Amino acid sequence: MADISIDAVAKRYGDTTIIDRLSLDIRHGEFFTLLGPSGCGKTTLLRMIAGFVTPDEGRIVIDGQDVTRLPAHKRETGMVFQDYALFPDKTVFDNTAYGLRVRRFSAADIKHKVGQILDRVELGHLQHRYPGELSGGQRQRVALARALVIEPRVLLMDEPLSNLDAKLRIQMRDVIRQLQQELDITAIFVTHDQEEALSMSDRIALLRNGRIDQLDTPEGLYARPGTSYAADFIGAANLIKIDSVQSDGDAGHVMVNGARLTLPQQEIDGDVCLAARPEHISLRDAADQGDNDVPGEVIYRRYLGFKAAYSVRLGDGQTVTVDVYSAQDPVYAPGAKVALRFESGCRLVRA
Amino acid sequence: MVMATLTAPVWRRTLSPWFFPALLCLAIMVVLVLWPLTTLFYQSAVDPQTGRASLAGFRTFFQDPTYTQAFINTVRLGLTSVIGTLLLGAPLAYVVARYEFPGKSVVALLPLATIVLPDIITSQAWLMLLGNNGVVRLALEDFGIYLPSFYGWFGMSWVLILNDYTYVYIGMLAALKAIDGSIEEAAVNLGASNLRRALTVTLPVVAPALLINAMIVFTLAVDNFSIPMIVGGRVDVLSSLTYTTFLSEMGGNPTMQSVLAVVSVLLVGFVLFVQKRLVERKTYHMQQGRAPRPLKTRGLPAIFLTGTAVLFVAFSLVPATIVVLGAFTKASGPVMQYGTFTLENMERALRYAPQPIFNSLKLASVAAVAGTCFAIVASYLIVKKRMWVVSVLDYVVMLPLAISGTVLGIALIHTYNSGFIVLTGTWVIMAAAYFVRKVPFSIRSASASLYSIPDSIEEASINLGVSPVASFFKVVLPLMKPAILAAAILMWVTSLAEISATIVLYYGGMETMPIQMFRQIDAGYLAIASAYGVILMTVILVPVYLAVRFLKLDLFSSG
Repeated sequence: MADISIDAVAKRYGDTTIIDRLSLDIRHGEFFTLLGPSGCGKTTLLRMIAGFVTPDEGRIVIDGQDVTRLPAHKRETGMVFQDYALFPDKTVFDNTAYGLRVRRFSAADIKHKVGQILDRVELGHLQHRYPGELSGGQRQRVALARALVIEPRVLLMDEPLSNLDAKLRIQMRDVIRQLQQELDITAIFVTHDQEEALSMSDRIALLRNGRIDQLDTPEGLYARPGTSYAADFIGAANLIKIDSVQSDGDAGHVMVNGARLTLPQQEIDGDVCLAARPEHISLRDAADQGDNDVPGEVIYRRYLGFKAAYSVRLGDGQTVTVDVYSAQDPVYAPGAKVALRFESGCRLVRA
Repeated sequence: MVMATLTAPVWRRTLSPWFFPALLCLAIMVVLVLWPLTTLFYQSAVDPQTGRASLAGFRTFFQDPTYTQAFINTVRLGLTSVIGTLLLGAPLAYVVARYEFPGKSVVALLPLATIVLPDIITSQAWLMLLGNNGVVRLALEDFGIYLPSFYGWFGMSWVLILNDYTYVYIGMLAALKAIDGSIEEAAVNLGASNLRRALTVTLPVVAPALLINAMIVFTLAVDNFSIPMIVGGRVDVLSSLTYTTFLSEMGGNPTMQSVLAVVSVLLVGFVLFVQKRLVERKTYHMQQGRAPRPLKTRGLPAIFLTGTAVLFVAFSLVPATIVVLGAFTKASGPVMQYGTFTLENMERALRYAPQPIFNSLKLASVAAVAGTCFAIVASYLIVKKRMWVVSVLDYVVMLPLAISGTVLGIALIHTYNSGFIVLTGTWVIMAAAYFVRKVPFSIRSASASLYSIPDSIEEASINLGVSPVASFFKVVLPLMKPAILAAAILMWVTSLAEISATIVLYYGGMETMPIQMFRQIDAGYLAIASAYGVILMTVILVPVYLAVRFLKLDLFSSG
C-alpha cells in the first residue's frame, strides 16, 4: 500500500508533448483511474510509474521514495498488461511464481502463496495449464494473480479488460474491484471506457492532451463536469450553444433559441455552453409549451427497449438527443412539434 | 493548480545496458565484412606498383573479351536459372497448395533433398549420369539418341535449376497459403472463370513473392562456385574466373581478382537492392483469412498429379542415390564399372578422410556456435532496441548476402595477410568466412521469431523484479529456442558443405570434406569422390533427421 505523488512530470517525443507538466496525488488504498481517449497520455503516465518510460522533467514519489530514476525492476509495482503478457512457455503456476522466485522465497512459501492467490482468483484447479490452454478471462486472472502475489506497493493496470468480450468485461470489473478492496492495495487503472471508470474507481483523472482535464469522484465527474470535453466523455451530453448568460442573485439565466432557462448559480468564465444529458431533458407537446421550454421538431426516434432516444431539431438548426423511458414515451413521429424542458442537472460548462 | 516548482531535468541520457553489446556486434561485422570489402574496393582501383589511384583494372575488364564474356555468361546463367526454377517451382507449389492427391506427402522430401544436399554432390551425381561416360548418356546412345555435351551451358543450367527450384517452390507455397480464400471466391462470385481468376486475382497477389524468390535464385546462381567449376567446361562465369585469376595471380598483382570481385559484388548488390525496393513497394497487406481448401482429385487427374509429384521427388533424390551407388562401385581411374560391388572406395576414403572430416566438423561447429550467439544478440538488438549503432548494424549484417564465397575469401586473405591482425593461413579465417556467409540467414530466422514475441512479456518480467538483461535470458531466450536451434543446425549443415570460400582459404592440413571431393572430381576419380560424398551426406543428414524427428524443429519455415 502506498501513496503516490506525481510532481510536474513531462514527456515529449520531438515536438509532440505526451505528458504536459502533470501533477497528481494518489492516496493509500485508493482505486484511481486514468481515463481518456487514445493519445491522451494515460498509458505513458502509467508506464512512467512502472519505470518503462523516463520523464523528461518532474518527479515520481512512491511512499516518500523518489523513484524517478529507479530502474523498473526495482520499483515493486505489480503491472497487468493489456495483452496480459503471460510467459507462454510457463504454466499458470510458474507464471505466478516468477516474481516470488526472483525474491528468493522458499519453495514451500511459493507453493503456499501461489496456491492462495490462484484460489482467490478461482484458478486453483488450472495451475498446470499453459496460457495457450486458457480462455481470455482465465488469462486475465493469471495476469492479475501474478502481479498481486508479490504484494506490490501499487497495482498498475493498462486497459486490462479491453481484450475481453462484453459480458466477461463486466464480470471482471467486480473481480478486480473486490480483490483490490480485500487486499487493501493502491491501484491505478488505465482505461478509455467511461463506464469501467465510473463503476470501479474511487477517483478518476480525466486526461486530455497530456493534462488533467478534471479530477473527481465518479459521481462528481458525472454530475458536475467542468468542461464540454468532460461532459461529453463521461456519459453522453448535448452541448448546446447559448445566446447569452445573465446572472441575478441566486439564479443564473441563459438564453437558448430565444427561450430563457433558469439554472443553478455557477461561477464560470470564458466561453461556455449548456451541457444537457439526454436523460435531463423531457419532451412534451408543443401545445403544452411552458415559459422556460425550447420548441423543436422531432427528426427521428430510436427505440432501445427500456427507453427511446429522440433526435430533436431546435429552431436554430442544432440537434438535441432526448431519452424518454418507455413507460412515459408518448411516441412522437418524425415531424412532430414538441417542447423541450431542461430539468435540473443541466449545467454550464467551459466550451 | 499550477506547480510552480521547477525540478531539475532528470539525467536523461541513461546509457542502455545494450549499448556495448551493440557496439561489439558492429565491431565484429566491421572487422569481418566491412573492412575486407573496403580493402577489396581499394585494391581494385589502385595501381599496385605506384600505389596511385588507377582504373586500369576496370579498363582491362571492359576491353578483354575473356572478362566481359564471363560477365555476360554470369547474367545469362542467372536468368536461365530464374526462368527454369520459376517454370518448375511455381506450378508445383500451386498444385501442392490447391489439390489433394494420393502420395502428396512425398513432396515434403524436396527441401531436404535439394537445399540440404551440397551442390557439389548434385553436380558430381549428374556428371556421373550425363557426363562423357555417364550411364544415362551411354544408355541413350544405344538407342541412337545423342545428347549434347554436358560440360557447359547444358550441365550448368540443368544442375543449377534442379538444385534451386525448391527456393521458388517454398516461397510460392508460403504465399499461396497466406492468401485469403475469400478474395478468390469474390472473383468467382463476380463471374470470373477459374483460369481468369487464377490470372487476374491469384497471380498478382503472389507475384511479389514470386519475384523475390526469383531474385534469390539469381543471386545464388551468381554466387555458385562448384557447379561452374565441375560442369562448366569452357564457359567462364565470374565466380570461376575470379578463382582461376586468384590462382594465377597468387602472390603477385591482385588487381584483376579484385576487379572481378567488385563487379560480382556490384551485380548481386544491385539485384538485392531492386529486391528490397520491390518488397517495400509491392507487398500487399492482406486480411488474415482462411486459405482456399485444396481440391480433392480422383481418376486421371489424380494419377497425373501423383505422377508429377513422384517425378519431382525422384529427380531430386537421384543425386543422393547415384552417389551412394558410386561409392560402392569398382572403378578403374575415371571409368565406373557399374554392377560391381566393392568396399574399397569407402575404405580408402575413411583412411584418408578422418582429418578432413575433423576439419569440417571443427570449422562448422565453431562457425555455428559463434554465429548463433551473434545472431541471438544482433537480432534482439535489431528487433527490440532502437539506437543509432543498431540501425547501422541492421544494414551491415545483411551485407554478406551481396558477397559470394570466393569474393569473401579473397577479401579476407588480402586484408589479413599482413599488418595488425594476421589471419591468412589459419583455421580462424576459414571459420570466420563460414560465420560471415551464414549469419544473415540465422539473423533472419531469429528476427522472425522475435517479431512474434510481444515487448510486454519482457516488461512483465522486469516489472516483477528481474533486471532487463536477466529478463532477456529468462523470458525471451527460451521463447526463441526453437527458431535458434533450427537456425544453428542449418548454419552447421550448410557450413559443412561450404566450398566457394573454402577453396581460396584452405591450406595444407586444413582440407575439408567438400575440398577433398572437389579434388577427386577434378582428377576424374568419381568413385572415390562418391565415397567422400556418402560420408559428407551422412554427417549432414543425421543431425537434420534427429532435429526434425526429436526436437520437432521446422527447419525450412524461415530459412
